[in-house]
Amino acid sequence: MADQVAARSVPAQREPYEFRLSHLPAYVALTIGAVISMTPFLYMISTSLMTLGETINRRLLPANPQWVNYQTAWSEADFALYFRNSVIITAIVIVGVLLTCTLAAYAFARIEFPGRELIFMVLLATLMIPGTVTFLPNFLMVRGEVIPWGSWLNTLPALTVPFMATAFIIFLFRQFFMGIPHELYDAARIDGAGHLRFLTAVVVPMSKPVLMTATLLTFVTSWNEFLWPLLVTTTPRWRPLGVGLYTFISEAGPQTHLLMAGAVITILPVLVVYFLTQKQFTEGIATSGLKG
Amino acid sequence: MTRADPPSARPRVTAARRREWLTGYAFVLPATLIIAVFGIFPIGYAIYMSLHRWRIRKGGFIGLDNYLDVVGDWWGALAFFGGLLLIMAAHWLWTDAFRRGGGTAPLVGRLLGALVLLGSGVAVSLGWRLMTEEGDRRFLAGLTRTVYYGFGSVPVQIVLALVIASLLYQNLRGQELFRMLYFLPYVTPAVAAAAVFRQIFSPRPERPANVVLDWLGIAPQQWLFETRPVTDVLFGGLLDRLGWDLTGFWAGPSLALVTVIIFGIWTYTGYNAVIFLAGLGNIPKQLYEAAAIDGATRVQQFRHITVPLLSPVTFYLTVLGFIGTFQAFTHIYVMRSPNTRDAVDTASVVIFDTFYGRNNFSLAAAQSVVLFAIILILTLLQNRLFGRSVFRG
Repeated sequence: MADQVAARSVPAQREPYEFRLSHLPAYVALTIGAVISMTPFLYMISTSLMTLGETINRRLLPANPQWVNYQTAWSEADFALYFRNSVIITAIVIVGVLLTCTLAAYAFARIEFPGRELIFMVLLATLMIPGTVTFLPNFLMVRGEVIPWGSWLNTLPALTVPFMATAFIIFLFRQFFMGIPHELYDAARIDGAGHLRFLTAVVVPMSKPVLMTATLLTFVTSWNEFLWPLLVTTTPRWRPLGVGLYTFISEAGPQTHLLMAGAVITILPVLVVYFLTQKQFTEGIATSGLKG
Repeated sequence: MTRADPPSARPRVTAARRREWLTGYAFVLPATLIIAVFGIFPIGYAIYMSLHRWRIRKGGFIGLDNYLDVVGDWWGALAFFGGLLLIMAAHWLWTDAFRRGGGTAPLVGRLLGALVLLGSGVAVSLGWRLMTEEGDRRFLAGLTRTVYYGFGSVPVQIVLALVIASLLYQNLRGQELFRMLYFLPYVTPAVAAAAVFRQIFSPRPERPANVVLDWLGIAPQQWLFETRPVTDVLFGGLLDRLGWDLTGFWAGPSLALVTVIIFGIWTYTGYNAVIFLAGLGNIPKQLYEAAAIDGATRVQQFRHITVPLLSPVTFYLTVLGFIGTFQAFTHIYVMRSPNTRDAVDTASVVIFDTFYGRNNFSLAAAQSVVLFAIILILTLLQNRLFGRSVFRG
């Protein structure tokens, strides 16, 4: 990690910056755009610190920040439970995706077996299938009406298992693994290492950047998942933050300040991770080109 | 490696190879199983469901009745979908069919192409009219809203993103900060962002959107609760005076749907800008230098170098944008409210509501299969129409 960060922070032959008057319009335009695109965040944070009275009056900022709103949302509106659920669900999905997709991508890149290309193409084709078509049969499936394995509603597996492998991540890993020189495998083979050994001892350590990208992508998609958890959580037991916030919209009624505090709680983990890994994050998404 | 082994070692090699195969299958099994069960099997099952009567519990086999309920009229559906496919034929006639022949042959091709295109337009609109007479009004209206949503948000996103990316690309200080801020909406959980938008675009006069209108001296609007079309909201008085009465498709989306479109633009512009920025980085600097020596202005450089060389990126973002439009769900579902009836329900929201709100599982399945077919045709069309006219370096 450390050497990567160091390597990245060296500016790529960039000329030293000098301000030119001709840049001024660009700065003005970009700043206006940035302010517009940040307005929802600023409004959310400001409102989350207001009193109920301030939210229904025309106020830009709270007179005294009401930090107690967060406490209220956290403990009284069950956001503590939802938060915990989201963390557990996301962690399990990330581990699952990394495990299944690393194994599959490695096999598609390195191991020869009959039907390899066919299976890979079929998996890739699933990227074109809209979630709108699959959610209904999947719902009946986790209710145990298609395959008689009992109902999974309101359980952890219903929220995690369907997301534990995606064709896109397999594709991403496969591209990367194919770039690892064959000679390394031949050498490992002579040392008596099998595929699994080679994968864990050589391939995985070499693939840290792409594993990191996959982790971040999976984190964001899993944390932001909405339709599916809405369907399979009828009780608060395993309800994640997004669905919790949605149910709170109808329950909170006019309590905008608490709702906005809940929104901040939902967004904050994503923002923290995003700010910490900003460069890797944007570049990972830009190069891999994923659109959710 | 196996190639290097002498033929005499064949039996042993086969055993080793079989072990290799087994390892391969074992490695791909977990991922393949999950994707097969939750990604591939459901398509077949959705089709199976759509052929039955199925409200919460499975009923009898009723063939294509659910599809007839959706499209209303078989001939209408045939004309509509056939018309869409005809666009491809028109394009083929226009560009390829008579390319070989010399003289007047290309002209004949273009003439035929134009005729077929005209025919496809007639077929699509005629088919649509037949479908809406008898078909599933909610679903078809949802499709119309999806089209508004796509055409209202994708081009705006692309243009804004291109402007932002080219401004950022001039080696400004703070480029990374701007990039980060613009990208932020894309990673924000849609439920939370939509909850905030509900407040900002609330009909109450003290909420931000109406406060801004107040600064501009405009009366507060109902925003997400406004079911009237924007043309009516904006120019209602003027249109009345002129005696024009815009109805149906040409009246435009409701103001509520426009608010949803604004959300779409807000979310994806920064993402598109980041992708454009990466694309700009791939354009050789020498091209600009050469153009500058030849006396090309900045605008000319943008028009004749940047735009054509970025066309693959633009194409990619357009395709993704429209496919995303047809799948858009979360923010629309969160921003809709019972008071607006179905003013913002795009096709995917209608499907969810048919299933979740009305418990008509088989009709929802049929709707989703129809939507899937439309997405597939659109993907084909976009590949056909734009896939080759883009510059590939």
